[in-house]
This record gives sequence, C-alpha cells and structure tokens, in this order.
Amino acid sequence: MQGFRDKPNLSVMSTRPPQIVAFGGGGFSMEWGNPLLDDHVLTLAVVQRPKVCFLPTASGDADHYVVRFYRAFAAPRCEPSHISLFRRETGVGDPRAHLLDQDVIYVGGGSLVSLMGTWRAHELDLALYEAWRAGVVLCGGSAGSLCWFSHALSSFHEGPARQLEGLGFLPWSNAVHYCDEPGRRSAYLSAVAEGMPPGYGVGDAAALHFVGTDLHEVVSSRPGARARYVYSDESGTASERDLPVRYLGEPAVVTDVLDSEPLAA
Amino acid sequence: MGGGGFTMEERSPALDRLVLTLTGTPVPKICFLPTASGDGREQTTRFYERFSTWPCEPSVVSLFHLGRDRIVDPAAHLLAQDAIYVGGGSMRNMLAVWREHGIDEAMRLAWERGVVLAGLSAGAMCWFQGGVTMSGGAPRPAPGLHLLDGSMSVHLDGEPERLPTYREAVATGALPDGYAVDDCAALLFAGTQLRTCVASRSGARVIQVRADGHGAATELAQTVKLLPGAESSLPGQDTAAAPAAEPYGVSELRALRAGRNRWE
Repeated sequence: MQGFRDKPNLSVMSTRPPQIVAFGGGGFSMEWGNPLLDDHVLTLAVVQRPKVCFLPTASGDADHYVVRFYRAFAAPRCEPSHISLFRRETGVGDPRAHLLDQDVIYVGGGSLVSLMGTWRAHELDLALYEAWRAGVVLCGGSAGSLCWFSHALSSFHEGPARQLEGLGFLPWSNAVHYCDEPGRRSAYLSAVAEGMPPGYGVGDAAALHFVGTDLHEVVSSRPGARARYVYSDESGTASERDLPVRYLGEPAVVTDVLDSEPLAA
Repeated sequence: MGGGGFTMEERSPALDRLVLTLTGTPVPKICFLPTASGDGREQTTRFYERFSTWPCEPSVVSLFHLGRDRIVDPAAHLLAQDAIYVGGGSMRNMLAVWREHGIDEAMRLAWERGVVLAGLSAGAMCWFQGGVTMSGGAPRPAPGLHLLDGSMSVHLDGEPERLPTYREAVATGALPDGYAVDDCAALLFAGTQLRTCVASRSGARVIQVRADGHGAATELAQTVKLLPGAESSLPGQDTAAAPAAEPYGVSELRALRAGRNRWE
C-alpha cells in the first residue's frame, strides 16, 4: 500500500496511541460463548461504553455475520454499529466520518483479496489509516488480522495458500489459523524463507496486540494458544520462535501500554 | 437486463432461458457470479433453483469464498463456460473485487471467445462504458468495463430516481449516449451492435437517451419484442406509452440461437 506515509495532517496524535489487535482466529465469529478476546479489545478503548463498528466486508457483508456481531456486542456494554459497503443506500452515510468517531473498529473474516478491493473502492483504506493514527483500536480475526500487515499468507477463504498484500500499517507479514489449518504453517515458513518479510504465525484463540508498529503482548482466549515469530536467517532458512502468550482467563496485572517496553521482534 | 430474471423472483423465466438459448449449445455450461451482492447466499440458491431444472451445467463462482467452493482459478473457470450470468448489487464493489481477482480481464477474453455474457442491474451496466450506480447511496454515474460502447441505466420503472441522474449525465457528457431499461426488459448485443430489445413482460420499456448537443438529452422509446413464455400484461395496466410489443416469431428465435461465435 503506497502513500499512507505521505498523507498530510496526520501528525495530530491524540493521547491514545495507535493500537491493533490481530487475532489468529477467535472472537465472536469463531468462539461463540468465549468473549475473552472481544472483551479484552473493549477494555483497550478505555471508555465506559465504547463505540464499536463492525466491518463485515471480507464476508461480502453476510447478514448472519452482522446479526452475530450485534448479539455479541450487545448495547449495554458498548455502542455497536456496522458499515455495509454492499448496501450503501441504507445505513451510514459517510463511512469515513463514522469510522473516525469510533473507539473500536472490528473487521470480520473472509476473503482478504475481495476485502482490499472493496475498501479501496470506497477509500476505506485511507479512513482506517486516519482512525488508527487517531487512536481508534483496530482489531479482527482471519482476514480481519491479515489486512493490517504489509504481507499476508492467504487463509482458506482464498483457496490454496499464496502471498497477498495488506494495508501495510504493520511492517510485518502475518499468517492466521497457524498450526490449525493443514499446510498453512509450512506454506508460511517457505514464503518467509523465499523472501517474504518476517512476521507472525498466529494460532486460533491467540491475538497479537500492537502499540504503534511494535508488538506489545500476545493474549489468548484459551490456554495453550500459540503465536510464533517467523524470520529467515542469512542462509535463507526460516526459523520460528515461540512468543509468550498471556491467557486472558487468568487474573492478570494490567500494564499501561504507554509505559511498557515492546516485545522484541 | 434492466432487472428481472431469477434473482428478482420474476415468475417468467423467459430472460433466463434466452441466455441459455443464445449459447447455441444443447447442454451449456453456465456460471453465475453474485459478486455485486457480496456473494449473497440467496442469489446462489435461486440460481440453482432455476437453472438446475434445465439442461445445462450450472456453477457459481464466489470470490468471497473461493476456498469453500473449491474453484482454484476463477478466471480459468469462467473461460471454460458457454454463458456467464452476473447478478445485481453494488457495481462499484463488483468491479473493484473483479480487478483484484483479475476477473475484468477474464471477462474480456471470454467475450472475445464467444462466451455469452449476461446479467441484470450492476451485472448489465458493467459491460458498458458506464452506468448509473447506487453503490455510494445516491445515484451517480460510474465507469464500467467498456466492452460495449455507450452507457446504460437500469430499473427504469423499479427505481425511477436513477433516470434524472442518467439524463443529466448524458446531457452533460459525463456518460455517453445509451439506454434506460425497465425491469424485465433487456438489450441483446451481437458483438458491439445492439441487435434487438427483448422483454419477459409486456409493457417493459427500453428508452434511448442521447445528448442533443445543446446541454439537454432526448429520449426515444425503442421497439421491444416479447420473448416466448413472457407474462402478458395485467388487466388495467397502461402500456400505451410503450411502442406496441410484438412477440417473437419462430424464425427469428431460430436466428437468435444460431450458435456461438456467429458474431465474428
């Protein structure tokens, strides 16, 4: 994605840092009844009743997905909304203004290729960049994770594994459903060995929490969920390093994202 | 098609059947692309409901669920068809998604090879230089794939708010001259030439809209032929505004189904 760094007037940083929570899989669409990841994202918004907007674009704005979102993000604890880019004649009139007014933007799974095309057609790529820089928490699973990175390994929605480009807010590569879908791990290792930038292989129920472009921590909605940093050495061999994962079901000391050191990549 | 066919729950299957007829093949391969609706399941179900009862090989390409449908190379799949049927919805989204998947190029190739291209609404306007889309909410001119010269505006009767925008766009030159088409009416092109206007319901109109060179647009109703199996007009329906629709004769229909590649 070219040009984001050239956009003017984005130096006005709010007090909230840019944050992205990228799920390897999980959240309401994959783990109905286990709200740990979704709840965690809401706490990052640091407001009483955060405004959460769902973007189901990667699914083609599937109705059943939108309904599940509203059931998971019920009104008492947040202010939910969604934007359907396939039905612009109803709903939100100005998507950019609406996105910039949110506390959390939640991107659903599906096809990354179709997602990128549709977003560009409505200039949502630019709006999301502005929202991210302004401190709106961006999150999502599957295609809703891959989209934030510069490079991605396609998930099963695209057919056989292949390299794709995302928005490039995060200068890493990403693979989702890592270790959960046959062939994804080996395809990712080969891709990184062959020159795809280093990045993160993230399993179902695990989520990467980035502050700015640095990985702050890895959280999970299930004990034993895994995430790995994948890089290639000078000889062109891909290696993996297990990342520490904090299970959200345990009582935990909440750290302030502004004070802590990023996890070394 | 300005509208109509199986996705709009039209009772008459005449337009859908015409698509198969035009392939000139006894058991044509026909692929449906519901991209403009975000690959809505309902459109896919209705496609199979209608086409499974006819002698043809129906399939669906969903660009949002490629893995699920196990169609590895959508462009190659399209090129292997006798007919491609494109559903309605957001033209802007459809063309953007097609570009990402290389479907725009595949469509041009398929057309050049004699695959029958059909569709309604967004799936009709996309073949022209441009059309009037509601993809952004309000009606607005938008570019298409430009396989065909000219422009098209759909749902002339069903969504009348499109016509003023279309008239204005043609008058100012934002869109080239073209056709505003009712639901259940369709333009049939052979190569880049308009061959005939057909309809599955009597009274369905096709109106040619042309810039008059002085900042306004002129409108001229076209003769529309009724397809075999079309619905007759409802009692009391006023069809006086449209030119008298005469049904297709057997010899003309034979000519229409003369076979593929006959345009060249």
